[in-house]
Amino acid sequence: MAAEDLPSEFDIVILGTGLAESVVAAACSRVGQRVLHLDRRSHYAANWASFTFNGLLTWIQEHHEESQPEELQDWSSLLEEGEELIYLNPSDSASIRNLQVFCFTSEKDEEEEAQSAVPPSTTEEEKGEAADDTVDETESADPKEEESEEKPEETAAGQEGQGAQTAGEGPEVDQSHPSVAQSQSEPTRKKISYAQLVKEGRRFNIDLVSKLMYSRGSLVDLLIKSNVSRYAEFKNVTRILTYRHGNVEQVPCSRADVFASRQLSVVEKRKLMRFLTSCVEETEEQQAFTGRPYLDFLRDQQLGDNLQHFLLHSIAMVTEDTPTEVGLASTRHFLRCLGRYGNTPFLFPVYGLGEIPQCFCRMCAVFGGIYCLRHSVHCLLVDKDSNRCKAVIDSRGQRISCNHFVVEDGYVEANRKNVATPTRFISRAVLITDASVLPSGSDQHVSMVTVPPIAAGSPAVKMVELCPSSMTCMSGTYLVHLTCQSVGSSYQDLSPVVTKLFHTPESHDQEHRPSVLWCLYFNMADGDGTQVQGHNLPSNVYLCSGPDADLGHDHAIRQAELIFQKILPEEDFCPPAPNPEDIIYDGDGTSFPEEEEKQEEELVEEQEVQTEE
Amino acid sequence: MSMEDYDYLFKIVLIGNAGVGKTCLVRRFTQGLFPPGQGATIGVDFMIKTVDIKGEKVKLQIWDTAGQERFRSITQSYYRSANALILTYDITCEDSFRCLPEWLREIEQYANNQVVTILVGNKIDLAEKREVLRQRAEDFAEAQSMLYLETSAKESDNVEKLFLDLACELIREAKQNKLDNNDTAPMPGEGKTISYLSCCSLN
Repeated sequence: MAAEDLPSEFDIVILGTGLAESVVAAACSRVGQRVLHLDRRSHYAANWASFTFNGLLTWIQEHHEESQPEELQDWSSLLEEGEELIYLNPSDSASIRNLQVFCFTSEKDEEEEAQSAVPPSTTEEEKGEAADDTVDETESADPKEEESEEKPEETAAGQEGQGAQTAGEGPEVDQSHPSVAQSQSEPTRKKISYAQLVKEGRRFNIDLVSKLMYSRGSLVDLLIKSNVSRYAEFKNVTRILTYRHGNVEQVPCSRADVFASRQLSVVEKRKLMRFLTSCVEETEEQQAFTGRPYLDFLRDQQLGDNLQHFLLHSIAMVTEDTPTEVGLASTRHFLRCLGRYGNTPFLFPVYGLGEIPQCFCRMCAVFGGIYCLRHSVHCLLVDKDSNRCKAVIDSRGQRISCNHFVVEDGYVEANRKNVATPTRFISRAVLITDASVLPSGSDQHVSMVTVPPIAAGSPAVKMVELCPSSMTCMSGTYLVHLTCQSVGSSYQDLSPVVTKLFHTPESHDQEHRPSVLWCLYFNMADGDGTQVQGHNLPSNVYLCSGPDADLGHDHAIRQAELIFQKILPEEDFCPPAPNPEDIIYDGDGTSFPEEEEKQEEELVEEQEVQTEE
Repeated sequence: MSMEDYDYLFKIVLIGNAGVGKTCLVRRFTQGLFPPGQGATIGVDFMIKTVDIKGEKVKLQIWDTAGQERFRSITQSYYRSANALILTYDITCEDSFRCLPEWLREIEQYANNQVVTILVGNKIDLAEKREVLRQRAEDFAEAQSMLYLETSAKESDNVEKLFLDLACELIREAKQNKLDNNDTAPMPGEGKTISYLSCCSLN
């Protein structure tokens, strides 16, 4: 429809719609800057995006196909005197690798096909009956063995020649393999077929990143301060769980939890409360452990194994050799965030994390920012004398002038970037399962699960389990995200954990565990190392990194605020947008009321674990 | 933000090509104005109007696209919690009618299932320039099980009716949902806004 041309003059051009870029866009537009915000992809939020199931399949396919770099066009004719060109990276392939897809459920409702005479409702019941049929079970044992041996090979092949594995075939082809496995595991539970996942595909909102919002983290503060929070809805994370001694257990973290806990003895309860109360303040005792592992400090507190595990892995979420001061800081952060909105320190946005960058984009648009997806910048026009970017050339060859240029780091050629360490990666797995890892009376739980390293040298894994009412998966399923710092490939890092916690063709004696219907493994570049400036780029060009491995969003928000301050040092960062109900319209002129900060914070009823008794 | 000043609150979202008169419809209804010129309203997220329907106070929160439709780049979150969608085209512009299936795909993808959709052909004051016959639009709307209405934001034709009809329909649906005992599944998302979460954090 819109073959309309873009205006050719802006204050700020932003390329990429990840979280940091979107926050910068909203902040600049909010204080009156003319913002053009582009993304070459057809979706918002870059590597922060969430997809429907079918959208994710398309994304997988796109990443399997070696993206054809567009031929660089020669734009030198558009140069004016004293200018030079900097070309941007025409393809975006470096940030995602090692994609592997497995489907452990049947392609279609097989019974439906086989017994087409029987109405589907009856078939369902028959399936249920078959579950008790032991003959079925034993028969299945054989092929199951075969399957599990076959798997690693397929995996290895997948890693080396992943391009070959699926190029052109699309994700569906991946299914033909494991579909053998399904028929046997079928009897255990009524399984949702692959066809149903596709049919109900739009019920899924599958995030590429897995993070949670700390209720007193910088993202929540910013959402409230700026009024961007009005564009989204949130759910409390309701449980903190941990994997220990082969079981998934609930971690008591609020005071109510501690007292209600059945796992803890009375003595442990008292010890835990005392510890949580005392760790809020800095003590000499703590200082004595500065530089030494937090684990040593916890041992010294004589808390016992249970509490030590909870505190180290689930509350501080650190590793055994993390220094005490760092461990204490994360413990305090966890405690500060408790009780602001619920029983755990975390919130999760309904419809997934991919909503958040889009909410900031909406704010930018409301204040006049112009949005254009499927539209990129090919090169920058740089004034040689001042080393400033004066304009950009967009993918249609239009010259668009700007005072500042903000860009996602994936668009910048590697040789221009000054990155201290070699790029690290995050390992990610996404599972669609048929039950919760810790079934309980309610099926409305959003759970954070910490899995300590399962063997020496393995990474600590963070897992988030989302229920259908988070609007991220279809009913009857759970969406599970696993994340860790990469040690090996995502499959190497995470599949051992998946095998332990879930029922897959590779796991043994795990029938009581939730079944994995479908899963995806991939690695994503860790955005932690990239600096905003200090690259071989003009002085008014700012880099935004992709998602980092932390659980919270502080990195991206900090980066956005830093960029904003460099561009507009005098301006307020994301002041509250006026409430539409307070705007007074008079004829053509619209006047905003003087906005006094009436932050919702006052309303917060605080109740924290560390309060007395 | 007090609860007592209305019985129902509905979020209505406008979509459709740029230039079909979405903002004009909203401004005509909420402010009784027909703005000359095309200037987008900077800084205004949505407009509010409270109407009285059979003795019940219904607060309508009407959201505009913030110009993101110009380059086909509407954020998904815009659709998420809408109770009703007004899909607008310009009867004097064939192209804006031909784009409707594209818009329906977006709705199908991102809006919630229970959303009420109404198709609106705007600019009937320009009858002599009509390119899309009423019958054609009616057939299309019927095939997609949408309501259909033709309006003129300029002459204020059917604008009031559009929003009041929607309000009635939304009340009817809300009551039906209550009858069906569906109110445990709150429309449309299940989440809460941050401010709501914060003032209700009892545990």
